[in-house]
Amino acid sequence: MRNFEYFEPKTFAEASALLTRYGGEAELLGGGTDLIIGMKDRTLTPGYVISLEHVPGIEGITYDDCDGLWVGAMTKMRAIERSSIVRERYTALAEGAEEVGSIQIRNLATLGGNIAHGSPAADTAAALLVLDAQVKIAGGEVERSVPIADFYLGPGQTVLRTGEILTGFSMPARSANSGSQYLKHKIRQVMDLAFVGVATSVSLSNGTVTDTKIGLAAVAPKPIRATDAEAIITGSSLSGEVLRQAAGAAAGQSSPISDLRCTAEHRREIVAALTKETATTAVARAQV
Amino acid sequence: MSEHAVVGKRLPRVDALEKVTGAAKYGADINFPGMLHARIFRSTEVHAKIVGIDTSEAEKLPGVHAIITQDDIPTGRAVFAKDKVLYYGEALGAVAATDPDIAEEAADLVKVEYEPLTVVQDVMESIKPDSPNLLNDKTKDGPRRRVITRQLKKLSKVTDEDNSAEIDRLNTELEGLDDEIYYNVAGETHESAGDAEKGFAESDIVVEGTYTIPRVHQVYMEPHVSVAHAEPSGKLTVWASTQGHFAIRSGIAGVLGIPLSDINVVGVTMGGGFGGRFNIQATHVPAVILSQKTGRPVKAQLTREEEFLDGRPGAGCIIKLKTGAMNDGTLVARKALAFWDCGSVAGGPIANTIRIRGVYKFPHLQMDAYAVHTNKSGTTSYRAPGAPQAIFAGESQLDEIADIIGMDPVDLRMKNMREEGDQVPAGAIEPIVGYKETLQAAADAVDWWNRKKEPNQGWGVAVGDWTNGCGPGAVYVSVHEDGSIRLFHGSMDITGTDTAMAQIAAEVLTVPYDQVSITRGDTNSAPYNTGSGGSVVTFTMGNTAKLAAEDARQRLLELASQRLNTDIANVELKDGKVSLTNGDAPKSLSLGELAAYSLSTTGGPIVGKGSLSGKLSAPAVAVQIAKVEVNPETGTTKVLKTVASQDVGFAINPIAVEGQIEGGVVQGYAWSMMEEMQYDEKGNVNPGFVDYRVPTSADIPRIESVIVEVPAPNGPYGAKGVGEPSLTPTLATFANAVTDATGVRINDLPIKPEKIVNALKSNGNGSR
Repeated sequence: MRNFEYFEPKTFAEASALLTRYGGEAELLGGGTDLIIGMKDRTLTPGYVISLEHVPGIEGITYDDCDGLWVGAMTKMRAIERSSIVRERYTALAEGAEEVGSIQIRNLATLGGNIAHGSPAADTAAALLVLDAQVKIAGGEVERSVPIADFYLGPGQTVLRTGEILTGFSMPARSANSGSQYLKHKIRQVMDLAFVGVATSVSLSNGTVTDTKIGLAAVAPKPIRATDAEAIITGSSLSGEVLRQAAGAAAGQSSPISDLRCTAEHRREIVAALTKETATTAVARAQV
Repeated sequence: MSEHAVVGKRLPRVDALEKVTGAAKYGADINFPGMLHARIFRSTEVHAKIVGIDTSEAEKLPGVHAIITQDDIPTGRAVFAKDKVLYYGEALGAVAATDPDIAEEAADLVKVEYEPLTVVQDVMESIKPDSPNLLNDKTKDGPRRRVITRQLKKLSKVTDEDNSAEIDRLNTELEGLDDEIYYNVAGETHESAGDAEKGFAESDIVVEGTYTIPRVHQVYMEPHVSVAHAEPSGKLTVWASTQGHFAIRSGIAGVLGIPLSDINVVGVTMGGGFGGRFNIQATHVPAVILSQKTGRPVKAQLTREEEFLDGRPGAGCIIKLKTGAMNDGTLVARKALAFWDCGSVAGGPIANTIRIRGVYKFPHLQMDAYAVHTNKSGTTSYRAPGAPQAIFAGESQLDEIADIIGMDPVDLRMKNMREEGDQVPAGAIEPIVGYKETLQAAADAVDWWNRKKEPNQGWGVAVGDWTNGCGPGAVYVSVHEDGSIRLFHGSMDITGTDTAMAQIAAEVLTVPYDQVSITRGDTNSAPYNTGSGGSVVTFTMGNTAKLAAEDARQRLLELASQRLNTDIANVELKDGKVSLTNGDAPKSLSLGELAAYSLSTTGGPIVGKGSLSGKLSAPAVAVQIAKVEVNPETGTTKVLKTVASQDVGFAINPIAVEGQIEGGVVQGYAWSMMEEMQYDEKGNVNPGFVDYRVPTSADIPRIESVIVEVPAPNGPYGAKGVGEPSLTPTLATFANAVTDATGVRINDLPIKPEKIVNALKSNGNGSR
């Protein structure tokens, strides 16, 4: 690891000022589960590290039926997976958080870090996509809100500009007749990176699926929605034939690569299999 | 069953407290004031000529104290690459600096000029004539060429009859066997019994297959580390994390060309070894030479990435196997041709290809095995070297035969298993063994013949065998004035072996277990000891501890008979004291009293000595049964149940034995389902735990261990080596279970989900 200067700002303004001052030479420290590894590998060599740990107002989970769910960027994965409201209404997000690393890692890792890192394989990304998350970003005096679908630009690249800090995520309120699931294809039961991640969210009305969102991770340069598959499922009663068609459509919309983990072809097959499975589970959960 | 008071009991380990409190000192915990940190600089090419190494920029970096290359090795023995590199990550030299970060920066500043050469990483490519010649090996003949060449040699010596027609025929056949001239072969081994070809001709069915087993790393928790201190006098001390500190001493003495008496190796608590921790050049030699150059203590420690790039993993191989059997399940013949990928260093466990014979009565057997050089790091031992690979092939093929003839897999194995007195194919006569008992025990534990499964579920069984080694070792036992006992020896504790020795001494001297302590000496103080590998330790050191304790007991009896004025025949050691066995008045002396008394005798303090070099060991067997469930859409496998039975001879400490069995199962499961070192033209592409997967406890639910005890005639209390057998059947167990669940057989490990999905596709989705 190279030497660096370390800051622990106590206010958002202070953090923002530091970030503006050091610009591209600075890295923000959330849970450190990506940053520190990169620094040890010397793939990241920041001259300045700014910790967000003591910055108020960017950690926690709040919910009301009107504004929906807000999750602060510094909220730990472990807190998200254990939150009863997240488990109940935003199940896919709890399941995504639960898939990250080990319990020890999840006690450090933050939702903001998982997303700001820009990985197309982030475990929470597919869930945030199907839960309609807005990414809250602040820089200096300016605040903005970006739909999660527009947040990613490519592998490791996001819309975050120099001097900006990701502060949190908001998701619209969800009714009791909605359901969601995130599934990750992996070789090891826990502590494995996603070969493929699929999240599906649905709402039901009189046995018909009224709203479907399918998010895919690790099968394109950024997390994407499988809109063709969504259109096939919405308005249906989710028959076997609908599932089969939707699975094929989702696989068709993915553009995975072959790498040392598996081939692109296998990833497409898994997208199809997990689209079927998550859609089935999401509908079942919406019925409860 | 309670004929013993201490051995055979579930007792806590002697090192339990220091391990769980973190007090145990591992190599990384050794630090000295003024200590420097070493960093190895490494090849960035897979195969290249070294044109030049320029260390000038690195030398200028503040904090750098010394830089060494192969030119600094006094005897010229290979430590660093000099003229050419044979793999990515090969060590070229080392830097010593005031802190690890500076050392790392400096290592990056070393400039190396290369002239790239053609790369060959696949063993089947490497044996071809057009592959680059990696280490100037002579060509070797394949199995058939070998036979013909020998016949021709024999015929050429015959002068009293005309064999010219036969000679012509053989020469013609030889000319057609060009593909049996192998290049880049580092070693070969051949065994046979009967006539395999005749056996196949007589068989009702013959099954053939090619089995591919990847190279895997031992992934011991602690990367290689050493701290060396060279004193101005020339004396060296090395704190080494190793399985055998005496082997490290002789290794360093050889490379440096100095006497053994100038080197003291302190074996520190070891963070796992599995056969991979005997290496001297990874960290020990670089630390020593850098310390000699700087006069300061030097710590050399590998990162996990370096462990993968330049460790010495277990060899992968390709085994072409053929088995012939009768329709009633009688095994007739088996033939194997194996190519082991030994990378840059000659070796590879080629001799253990013979494990394809398993524990069965093959009348006809043939085995030809070759170690092949490739542009990869060298390999070394990994827990029962070679056996899991060979047994994977053998036990997979047995299940295929069982399936074809419609026989239960356990029945097929039971029918063909050897017993005491049977001929071991290409071996000796089988001594007393527990093969059938152990198979029966595993089958009973799962109620095998009434086993049930749901769709996509399957059961797998496999049998593996191994025989522990025995090496030189010695123990001293002292009896102290308070009655406490101390053992002193030079064996590296591995998986509870110190505990077993302490239990044995307590048993012989009839004292409570917690009255016995045990100390490991460094190479300056302890008697010579063999390394802790090959399942030797409890067998060897258990025997020496027993001999030493018996020697001390003899002295205690002599002292007591003197003190009590009676013949030695009239005293006995029982419950920690020596008592008169005759006479009216009960008289006894405690061990403490006798130890205190000894101090004023002409014989002096009580020291028992036990020393031995070799004893004939007894074959052990491990049987494992697993039940799995495979998702046919995603190819993912879930383990539902695992039972592992093993003939351990006698379990000195059942907790430790179960730990060994469970550990072997976990490693074998990983090897069959997820672990593999992957390579592309740039070298090893998964040198870390992100893409080199080892399982967690979530992958393998509870493993049920079943201990079988068929005593080893020469083992301490009948104990056999338990460390290695438990890994031998596991690869095949899980492969057979996956086949039972899916109807497809994957002979190319690891059985990743993608392979299952693809096999099911080409099989028309034949899930059962």
